[in-house]
Amino acid sequence: MQQQTHKTLYASHAWIGIISGILLFIVTFSGIPALFDHEIEFWQYPAYSELDEKKPFDLEQSLQAAKAIDFGYDNFFIQPAGDINKHITLAHFIKGEEPDIRYLSANNYQQFPPSPSEVSHLFSHLHTDLHLPNPWGRYLVGLSGMAMLLAIIAGIFIHVKWRKEFVMLRPKRSWRLLLTDQHKLLGLWSLPFTLILAFTGTILGLLGLISPILALAAFNGDVEKATIAVLGPKAEVTGEYTPVYPLNELWGRLEIDLPDTSVEFIQVSGLKLITTEGTENSEEKQTTEKINKTEETSKKLVTDRGGIIKFSGSHNEKLSNLESVTYNLSTGERIHQGSFIGKGPFQRIFAAVTPLHYVLFGNAWLKVCYALAALAGCGLILTGNMLWLHRRGHGMAHWLSKLTLGVCGGLVVSTSLTLALSQGLYGFSSTEEHHHFEEWGFWGFWLFTITLPFIFKDGFSLSHYFLRITAAGFIATLIIDGLLNGRWIWASEGWVFNVQAGILFSALLFIYLDIKMPKQANIRKAAEAPADVDTSEVANTELDHAQAS
Amino acid sequence: MLRFSSNIRTKLNSNGSRITAAILGSLITTVALTVCITLIWPFGDLIEQIFAGGTFFFVFWASLFYWAILAEDGKKAWLRILALFFPVLAIDIISLTFK
Repeated sequence: MQQQTHKTLYASHAWIGIISGILLFIVTFSGIPALFDHEIEFWQYPAYSELDEKKPFDLEQSLQAAKAIDFGYDNFFIQPAGDINKHITLAHFIKGEEPDIRYLSANNYQQFPPSPSEVSHLFSHLHTDLHLPNPWGRYLVGLSGMAMLLAIIAGIFIHVKWRKEFVMLRPKRSWRLLLTDQHKLLGLWSLPFTLILAFTGTILGLLGLISPILALAAFNGDVEKATIAVLGPKAEVTGEYTPVYPLNELWGRLEIDLPDTSVEFIQVSGLKLITTEGTENSEEKQTTEKINKTEETSKKLVTDRGGIIKFSGSHNEKLSNLESVTYNLSTGERIHQGSFIGKGPFQRIFAAVTPLHYVLFGNAWLKVCYALAALAGCGLILTGNMLWLHRRGHGMAHWLSKLTLGVCGGLVVSTSLTLALSQGLYGFSSTEEHHHFEEWGFWGFWLFTITLPFIFKDGFSLSHYFLRITAAGFIATLIIDGLLNGRWIWASEGWVFNVQAGILFSALLFIYLDIKMPKQANIRKAAEAPADVDTSEVANTELDHAQAS
Repeated sequence: MLRFSSNIRTKLNSNGSRITAAILGSLITTVALTVCITLIWPFGDLIEQIFAGGTFFFVFWASLFYWAILAEDGKKAWLRILALFFPVLAIDIISLTFK
C-alpha cells in the first residue's frame, strides 16, 4: 500500500472515530442490555418467574381471554410465550399515544398485572432510537453504524501487521503503548462480530431512509405498495361481518404453510370482538370452562369480510425472521406467503439482518460472545479516543477527555445504578411510580456523572471511582434482589440465575478493570517519546502533528 | 476575475472539498446508483431487485466514500464522484421515463 493511501486511511479512521466515538459508545454499550432485553425483563419482575409453567399455545383461547378483559380492538397483536417468558402479550398500538399492552398467563389465560418496571425498555430504546423522536433517533443510530462500518474498513487496511498485533500486549511499557496494543487487540479479536453488528445495525437504522429510494425505482415512489409487496397485504375493511374461520384450525395449518418456524407475532386485523349471542362481558363467559369450549366461542366472534390474520416469526434452522403467512379471517383462505428461504441472495441477506444483529439464532453462549464483542467495541472506542488525545499531548484536562469520561463512563455508572434502583423501588414505591423513578434515576445519574469530569480535575481518579461505583451498583442490585424478593443468587435457577450470574460477572469485570487500570499516566506528545513508539506508528504520528498544526 | 477563479480553484482543491465529495457527493451518487441497480438488476423478481438495491446502497456508500477520500485533492475527488454520478443519473432518467 502506498504511504499516502495509508496515511489518508489512518486519518479517516481517526477522524471518523473522534467525530462519532461518543455516540457510537452510547449505541454500542446500550446494545448489551438490548441484546438481553427479554432475559432482563423476565428477571426484573419477580411475578414473571412465579407464573405456572406454560401450556401449548391456544389461539382461540387467547382471543376469548382478550374479549373477557375488554381488549376490544379491531387491530392488535398477540405474542405467544417465548423460550424465556411464560406469558402471552396482547398489544394495540395507537399512533402518537401510549400502546395498550396486556399480559395473560400462558398456563390459564388469566390476565395478570404488568411489570411496573420499564428498565429493560429504557436500555433497549437507548440502543434503537436514543430516546429521540421517531424516526430521527433511529436514523442517527443508523448513521453511527455507518460511521462504525467506515472506521472498521479503514482499520482493517491500516493494520497491516495483524498477525503480530493479534497477540501483542506490552503492559509494562508506556501508557500510550498499552492503549495502542489494547486498541489493536480489541479491534482484531472482535472484528467478525463488530463488522456484523455495524453492517446489520446500519441497515436496520437507515432502512426507513432508503425505503423511498427503493420504492421510487420499483413502485414509482409508492412506499406503501412496496411494503405490501414485501410484507403482505393489509385488511380491507368492507363493513360486512361474517363468522370467524376456526382459528385453531388455521394455527394447525401453520405446520404445513409455515414449517420449522417459531411464530412470534400474530397480527389480527378486522376482527370484531363482539358476541353474536348473549352479553359480551357476563361473568360466566370469563370462566375457563367456557373459554375452553372453542366451538361455542368461535361462533361468538365475527370478522369483517376483509379481515386478516398474519402469523410471522423466525425460521428455526435458517437465518430469517421474516417468515409469514396471511389468511383471510372469514374464509381461512391463504392470501399471502412471505418466505425468504430459498429466495435470491439479497432477500436472504435482508432476512438475516435482524437475526444476525439480535442473535435470534444459536444459544445463550453466542449471545454472550456478542455481548463481549460489544464490550470490546466500547473499549475500542475509548482507547481510540484516548490515543487520539494522547498523540496530541492532551491529558484529562482536554474537553474531549472530560466529555468522553462523563458521557461514556457516566452511561456505564448510570446503567448499573439504575438496575439497583429499579430493584430497590419494589420495596419503596407504588407500581404506577416505579418506571417514572427509574427514568428519573437513569437520566439523573447520567447527567450528574457527565458534569463530574468538568468539576474534578483528576480524571484518572474519577475513572477509578466510576469503575468502583459501577461494580458496587451491580453488587447492590443482587443484594437488593435477595433482600426484597428473596432471590439470592445461590438459590436461583433458570433465567433468573443466568441474569444474576451475568450481573455478578459484570461487577467482577469492573473490579478487575479498576485494579488493572493505572493510577496515573505520563502524558507527553508522541514525538517526544520516540523510544516507546512503534515504528509503524511514526508515520501516523507525523501525520497527526501535520494535521494539528 | 482571475482572483475569483483562483479562489474557486483553491477551494475546489482543498481538503474540505475532498471531504465534502467523500461525504455528500458519495451519498448523492449512492442514491442514484441504488435507483439504477434497483431498476436494472437482471436477476430474480421485483422483491429481489428491491433488496439488491437496499444491500448495495451501503456497499456503494462505503466504497465511494473511500474512493473520493483517497483522491489526491478535492478536484480529483469530485471528478471521481461526478464521473460516476452523471452517467448513472442518465440511466435513471431514461429507465424511469421508459418504464
